[in-house]
Amino acid sequence: MSLSSLTKDWEPMSYGFLDASAKREIRRKMLKAVAVPGCQMPYASREVPMARGWGTGGLQVSLTLVNPKTTVKVIDQGADDSVNAASIRRFLARVSGAPTTLDTLEADLIQSRHRIPEEKLRADQVLVLQVPNPEPLRPVQPNMSIARQMHADADYGRMWLQLYEQIVRSGRVMQGASYPSLVNGRHVMTPSPIPRWDVPKLHMAEHLTILSAGREKRLHAVPPFTRVEPLVFDDVPYKVEEHGELICGRSGAKGFFMNEIPQDDGTSTYEISDSDYGVKTIRQAEGAQVHLGETWYKNGELS
Amino acid sequence: MAYVATRGGERAIEQAERLFRADMGKITAERVNEIKSAMPYLIDRVMGEASLYDEDLAALALAQTGGDLYEAVLVLRAWRTTQPRLQVAAPVAQDDLFTHRRISAAFKDIPGGQVLGPTLDYSHRILATDVLNGTPFTPAAVEPSSKPAPAYQPSVAAWQAENDLVDLPKLDETHPDDIPDVTREPLLFPSKRAHTLQSLARSDTGGALALGYAAMRGYGQAHPTVNELRLAEAEVMVKHPNGTSFSAGRVKVSQAEVVSKKGEKLELGFSATLGWNEVKCISAATLDLNSKGAPKGSATEEEFYLYHTEGVESSGFCIHFKLPHYVTFQSSLDAMRDAKSKKSIHPEPAE
Amino acid sequence: MLEAPIPSQNESRANQAFDALLMSLSRPGDVQVLPVAGEQTIVEALLDRECRVYCADPMLMPGVLATGAMIAEADAADHVFFGNTIDPATLAQIRVGSDLYPDDGATVILRAVLGSGPRLCLSGPGIEHTKEVSLGGLPSGFWEQRRERIRYPMGFDLFFVDGDRVMGVPRSTQVEVL
Repeated sequence: MSLSSLTKDWEPMSYGFLDASAKREIRRKMLKAVAVPGCQMPYASREVPMARGWGTGGLQVSLTLVNPKTTVKVIDQGADDSVNAASIRRFLARVSGAPTTLDTLEADLIQSRHRIPEEKLRADQVLVLQVPNPEPLRPVQPNMSIARQMHADADYGRMWLQLYEQIVRSGRVMQGASYPSLVNGRHVMTPSPIPRWDVPKLHMAEHLTILSAGREKRLHAVPPFTRVEPLVFDDVPYKVEEHGELICGRSGAKGFFMNEIPQDDGTSTYEISDSDYGVKTIRQAEGAQVHLGETWYKNGELS
Repeated sequence: MAYVATRGGERAIEQAERLFRADMGKITAERVNEIKSAMPYLIDRVMGEASLYDEDLAALALAQTGGDLYEAVLVLRAWRTTQPRLQVAAPVAQDDLFTHRRISAAFKDIPGGQVLGPTLDYSHRILATDVLNGTPFTPAAVEPSSKPAPAYQPSVAAWQAENDLVDLPKLDETHPDDIPDVTREPLLFPSKRAHTLQSLARSDTGGALALGYAAMRGYGQAHPTVNELRLAEAEVMVKHPNGTSFSAGRVKVSQAEVVSKKGEKLELGFSATLGWNEVKCISAATLDLNSKGAPKGSATEEEFYLYHTEGVESSGFCIHFKLPHYVTFQSSLDAMRDAKSKKSIHPEPAE
Repeated sequence: MLEAPIPSQNESRANQAFDALLMSLSRPGDVQVLPVAGEQTIVEALLDRECRVYCADPMLMPGVLATGAMIAEADAADHVFFGNTIDPATLAQIRVGSDLYPDDGATVILRAVLGSGPRLCLSGPGIEHTKEVSLGGLPSGFWEQRRERIRYPMGFDLFFVDGDRVMGVPRSTQVEVL
């Protein structure tokens, strides 16, 4: 063994920022995550030049997958133009040379915080979701060692009990985003805090989704064509946000997840949360030639 | 506002960063050197929390971040993590530390003597305001002792073990190459001993102090006595590919042993870190001392304190709350409004 | 500050090989293409000094050793390379992980003939309904042995390599021999 066999040529930065050994570890864990859908796989989670909690988990996965031909889209809360989405997109492009896009249909790799685009993802696309807290059991069991044992035993009784108590108290399940869902009939996962509107998009989807929590050092996956079933009781069906009837004040489009914009007079207006889809519908309303992809929801109903 | 304003968003980001950097002005090698020589304890703290021993890089990180400690540690760790791991240095025994300061609170005197070394412990903390009026503060010269303290000393615990007061932990014979590295693999519980000590070594000083202090005040099971606190320099011995062992230099290290009475024996808590950082070592050793048998969810339980003293993670998560959360908030609003409307249709019976 | 780095040849190969592995494991039974025929690019994409490897193929050994990975017995290995010689006794020892850490189950890479041989019917995650494939070159009783060893989520994950083609069968896939 010699020093030259141990080292590599000096580069100011590895391709894609992460060094080869960090990428290899994430690759190994991604394979395990795909092999056991919904099961949280621990990984070392290297530091990246962004603060923890700002998408470092998603970023590590994206940096591992990206190559100069990958077209990348980054969303934060549905918007491409959100400051952090812009910052991550700029970083990904800077360290990989990959082209970027705002259009869901053009993207190969989509890194998103808390939304799944309204246009259906295809088999050739990969969705990377940033996850602040990967542990669905955290509200009923903050201790990670005990929670891990509960997953091992498929012991989700307390989870069910919590949902039942909410129905008794409030007449409905009070879970907002990150609705706990059973994956492949075995592991309960938190689908990152995507709204309830987006959870059905993961069920038997065409695309691969990887969910990665950098700070908590866990990643899990939902492969294509995998059952993702929100935890519900037979007599209390799953309810997405009541956005099906809302109309976008800017494009006139109806039936998508909306951002509520409070007005001075005490009322609210709405705009489509998926910013690029919003832009495309506005341009279409203005008469431009726009390619709108097929959407998961049609007229506010899941198709 | 949103949509199409993408370029505006990117411009705002760019200008916000410029605003921050404009305050600090030009960063030069002189400035970095000045920080390095003027603030060795700050440099030590940053190097310890970043687990990267390089005074120049630490000073550069401080210069670049305007002294925001969490940012400085993050930028150093992000640099460190891309560096290849070429070699694992030989383990360092306590007796081999070139010792500058070594004190014990457990005994009035200890074999080898109490060596105060550099400290502010007994100084009066008075601001030298004259400096601001143009009178430089020139520290008085150190007068060397006629009988210098020995540079190499055994640990106090070793003496206690000889006197059957404490059971030293069994010597870990793991080959250095096989010692698990918490920066390369996930921290799992129950934690490997190496992972625990590595995590404490890179923990946030303030975080370790907060939880350590909670334990000291009575939220732990054990009251610590500082058995030995040591500031020293450790030789970093590595192997040349041709097989010869050589020193790559010395690094400053600090370590603390704290003890507590348990039955007829003393129990040991230990911590060590890169750089000289006494508060962190005593706090971390106190957490280590208290962790055995700590109730789940208590501040002295290993899982609890290792997660919550991780400075890069905790500070990052804290500032992430500045990010927009309107989608998740919208989702909660929807559930609240629905529950409210259900209630107005079916009012609950009065209690 | 810095220009976008250009990926080295090794980086590109590893990226491409992993892409094939990830896609093939996500869609069991689908065939993906490796950048170079054989297992070497898989070795480069996945292994380093943190890994323990069982390697039954002497031709592959130098490549495995060059990664710094430790050579281990089959019951301690996280990656198993069988090459052409798939020994049922070794298969019986492969790690399946634990209930707590299913990720400790091994990744197993073996040579097979894709597209001819016994017919299999696959179902599970990654497959919409069912998928029929032909896979040859495996010892008889292979799939029965796999079924006996897997106690989902414990199990091991398979990659079949045939030239530059690779097919994945994760532990979550049910395999029926037709």
